Amino acid sequence: MSEATGILRGGARRRWLAPVLWAALLLGACLGMESLQGLFRLVEPDSRRVVYARADFLVLLGRHVFVVAVASLAAVALGVGAAVAVTRRAGRDFLPLVAQLASIGQTFPPVAVLALAVPVLGFGTLPIIVALLLYGLLPIVRNTLAGLEGIDPGVREAARGMGMTGGQLLRQVELPLAAPVILAGIRTSVTINIATAAIGATVGASNLGDPIISGIVNGNTAYVLQGALLIGLLALTVDSLFARLQPTLT
Amino acid sequence: MSDALNPGGARPNVVLLSLGLAGLLAWVVFDAVSVAPNRIVSGQGHGAWDVAGWPGLVASLAPMLAMLALAWRPSRRHLRLALGLVVAMLAALPAWLALAAARLIESEMPQARLGIGAGVWVALFLLLLAMVELRTRLALPRLLGGALLLPPLMSLAVWLASGLEPLALRQELLARRDGFIAAIGEHLLLVGAAVAISLLLGVAIALAMRRWVRCRTLGFALLNSLQTIPSLALFGLLLAPLAWLAAHVEWLAALGVSGIGWAPALLALVGYSLLPMVRNTFVALDEVDTGVIDAARGMGMSRGQIFRQVRLPLAAPVILEGIRITTVQAIGLAAVAALIGAGGLGTFIFQGLGQAAMDMVLLGALPILVMALVADALLGALSDRLRQGAAS
Amino acid sequence: MIELIGVSKRFGQTTAVDDISLRMAPGELSVLVGTSGCGKSTTLRMINRLIEHSDGEIHIDGQQIRGFREETLRRRMGYAIQSTGLFPHWTVARNIGLVPRLLKWPASRIHARVESLMTMLGLPMDEFADKMPRQLSGGQAQRVGVARALAADPDILLMDEPFGALDPITRETLQHELRELQARLQKTIVFVTHDMDEALRLADRLVVMDQGRIRQQGHPLALLREPADGFVASLLGGEDRGLKEAALLTVGERMMPLGAKPLPGERISRHATLREALSMMLWRHAERLVVIDDQGMAIGELSLRRLVGARSHE
Repeated sequence: MSEATGILRGGARRRWLAPVLWAALLLGACLGMESLQGLFRLVEPDSRRVVYARADFLVLLGRHVFVVAVASLAAVALGVGAAVAVTRRAGRDFLPLVAQLASIGQTFPPVAVLALAVPVLGFGTLPIIVALLLYGLLPIVRNTLAGLEGIDPGVREAARGMGMTGGQLLRQVELPLAAPVILAGIRTSVTINIATAAIGATVGASNLGDPIISGIVNGNTAYVLQGALLIGLLALTVDSLFARLQPTLT
Repeated sequence: MSDALNPGGARPNVVLLSLGLAGLLAWVVFDAVSVAPNRIVSGQGHGAWDVAGWPGLVASLAPMLAMLALAWRPSRRHLRLALGLVVAMLAALPAWLALAAARLIESEMPQARLGIGAGVWVALFLLLLAMVELRTRLALPRLLGGALLLPPLMSLAVWLASGLEPLALRQELLARRDGFIAAIGEHLLLVGAAVAISLLLGVAIALAMRRWVRCRTLGFALLNSLQTIPSLALFGLLLAPLAWLAAHVEWLAALGVSGIGWAPALLALVGYSLLPMVRNTFVALDEVDTGVIDAARGMGMSRGQIFRQVRLPLAAPVILEGIRITTVQAIGLAAVAALIGAGGLGTFIFQGLGQAAMDMVLLGALPILVMALVADALLGALSDRLRQGAAS
Repeated sequence: MIELIGVSKRFGQTTAVDDISLRMAPGELSVLVGTSGCGKSTTLRMINRLIEHSDGEIHIDGQQIRGFREETLRRRMGYAIQSTGLFPHWTVARNIGLVPRLLKWPASRIHARVESLMTMLGLPMDEFADKMPRQLSGGQAQRVGVARALAADPDILLMDEPFGALDPITRETLQHELRELQARLQKTIVFVTHDMDEALRLADRLVVMDQGRIRQQGHPLALLREPADGFVASLLGGEDRGLKEAALLTVGERMMPLGAKPLPGERISRHATLREALSMMLWRHAERLVVIDDQGMAIGELSLRRLVGARSHE
């Protein structure tokens, strides 16, 4: 048995390697972009500046992470809450509608949702957070519903028959059993949010999308590359973090 | 359990009641329309009361109240009636806007624009939700559910032809008719090309993965991480190498390949499309019942025959599902491609956002939304059909 | 003791259980049997209020079940079902300790209880305690299910086709173990099944249900010998009833006792059923068997005449 845990621990260490490595690369790129100047000069030999300097990369990264984190946390709370509510007896009437809505809603392209949010909510960071939150809800609701409904009915029956209360059933049985599927939904949601937040740079939210947009507008490929590199690294860091979390919960 | 055995019983339909009450509230509280003297100035909001006066307002609430009454005792017949009412209300929304145009816009203001207000948007949204709810409760087939949207759409077309001339969206569309049609063409072309290429590549990769196990893990890992890279970043990352290629390889430049434009867009779209395509094709081919394959082999079918006559037809619905996911995803991603000059409807979105011209944003976003929904519905129906065909 | 008085259950227009009255004495194993949809499962689930009854009264030890909080009521009863309902994310030991933990027993007491139950059900602690349910065979999982139902030492045990999904050999083993367990623990057990052999093998009291009503109830032998109507007779096995009855009686009750002198001939244990004895006679072409006790000593003789003989012999 100790041998088994030993293997597990070794595996765990290896699984932590990927997120740590990506995060290190991300931070390194943020801090050391200036020293790659020579490389970017190759791409843009004629431009005056080849490293984006209108804002610090770390600040842009921080804003990006902040927007995505706030929207995703709210989406998790609301999404899991809504899915749990409509699978309880009191909310069951709303289940078909919510399930349908979550699956229809996912055919809406995130860009279109972001674009439609602007006329309603205006420019800036808050509208983006709201748009990300709304769109990010869908995969979470859908997966939470799938996770809860995928539980063997015998397990729920036995739990109730043994005298578990509704809250005990939810906390000790349903949520733990649905956790892997819920987590997969959160992963999808966060991935989409990171991408959509970058596009949010066009509606006035300053984040890692800025260098790309600015590079496209000014015809400076080096800026585009810097933004793209950082967003890509951020996405891979977060995704590998989720990949690390996933198996421990199953 | 009692619900399952007693559908459409005497218990009120809480969902319809909530939707209806929210609709009533939004209708009365929010602006129905906004009126602006021209494109630049932002509009002045008008409530439902301004549009129709008190008697008109009360009259406009009547169908919703009737729906609430029907939802109180949701027998099957009542639900059918309620669905009829919902369709009628949806069809009446353009007429309501035309009424607003006639009453609020004076004829000496040819530049005046009518914007759709939050009250009407919310009502539209809630009515569509009510329709989904009723469709689910009545277990209507997918195509019939889609057909129910025809009367409202026809009503919209009729009123757009005459009566809704000041509608901002219509004016925006008329002003950019040529660009709009070209953008739709570009968008569809980009999506179609990406889906077609990724279908061919995807099937080839899936077949290779079936043959060589080592390809499988590596291939999926690669495609998975590609899928996580945000579209804007991928477009950006493709920019430099493609620009370099165009500068150094003459025939590529002659083809129109460059760092910006359709080339990086198509490349990125194909990249994103590969994962769902390969995954579905692989799973579809892999999950064909081994008993069926055994039987086919036992009857003396050759490998080629088994693949073409047994495995492929049985896998078709799942492969089609992959095409559906890919298409819907590509329609959305192609909009982002406008940022790197690939054209398409995204152009309107980003130009509109740049100029703070919301009608223009809508002109780009709404067709994208409709295209995604239509593609989803059509390919979904086709896949259902194939499945039934396979079952019978 | 469980008592149902004029209990009915309606789902909308349909009546699942129609005005039934039942009394299940302490220490009695009652088996509800009937075709699917006859209301037997609904009746069982009304006792722990997984389904609320529409009419009538249900009493546990003289108290109306509606007087309890649902959870309190259920924690007083064991509950085992066909799909076991083991929590797939919990170890075997944790699954078994579920109800004691709900009842907030101290950890040491839970541990001791789980250990004794696992021993009792033939699941060695050091081998099974840390296993996950998916690592168990069907029979082992069902043993864990029964152990979990017994964990808080309830007086009442409700079992809904617990052995229905098992292969015939495992099922028979578990039926046998349940009988032995019951002989020791003397619980009030309500057992639902559609398998008539299982019902006959287990029941102290057999309750035959059809279309939400009780057709007949009583000791299995009484029902076999005097079925109330054609439905009960055919459910009990029709022409096979003789063999079913023979399977309920032991050689020991029917044999001719003899002195302890060794006899030649085929030997059979006194605990064997008459059905097994008949089978042995057919197989060995023997009209006479020597009955032996647990030590292998001959204690009697069973002839074919006596085996099929008139009931007045008893």
